[in-house]
Amino acid sequence: MPSLSYREKTLYASLLAELIVYGPYFFFHQQNSVNKVAAMIVAIIVLQAVLQGLIAIFTRNRLVDERDRLIELRGYRVGYFTIATLMVVGLVLLWFHAAAGRLSIESHRMGLHFLNVFFGMLVIADIAKTAAQIVSYRRAL
Amino acid sequence: MSPSIRNQIRELRTQREMTQQDLADRVGVTRQTIIAMEQDKYSPSLETAFKVALALGVTLEQCFQFEPRGKR
Repeated sequence: MPSLSYREKTLYASLLAELIVYGPYFFFHQQNSVNKVAAMIVAIIVLQAVLQGLIAIFTRNRLVDERDRLIELRGYRVGYFTIATLMVVGLVLLWFHAAAGRLSIESHRMGLHFLNVFFGMLVIADIAKTAAQIVSYRRAL
Repeated sequence: MSPSIRNQIRELRTQREMTQQDLADRVGVTRQTIIAMEQDKYSPSLETAFKVALALGVTLEQCFQFEPRGKR
């Protein structure tokens, strides 16, 4: 495997942390609660801090150059289009639910449901942003 | 689609017995960016291109060539 720049290493670590924390949370979403949301947020912060800190300690050259910034901008573009698309899809589905006049969710769980939906959109967009950057590092710009 | 700007960075660098890290340090970019340029995977900005040519002791045209897309 070719040597990775500092920025690439942080991207792989970020993607790994997201998959480790968010994967189980959304896979077992039927058992989620507000406390589990808080625990997930704390877990991702701690795991990211640990991984990024380790990478920073063991990487001598932490230079971020023009190519890194260009790839980062590409990633943000992919992330924006991803979350915009998900928002449109979500709004369309909500409109249909409103038009139909019923939602098959108990009212006391509706808040958690929408929290999971919007948080899920952010997570998917962030993973898309990170993945796009990782791919850009391997391909021609 | 690979960039339409070709370069002789690798050839010029090896002629001067310079490592990729040496060139990267002189230009102010990462070694991975030098690798990407040598593999025609990245076309640098004009400023960086000038810095590369200066570090290698050649003119910009001796280091980089523009080829319209479709021609190699």
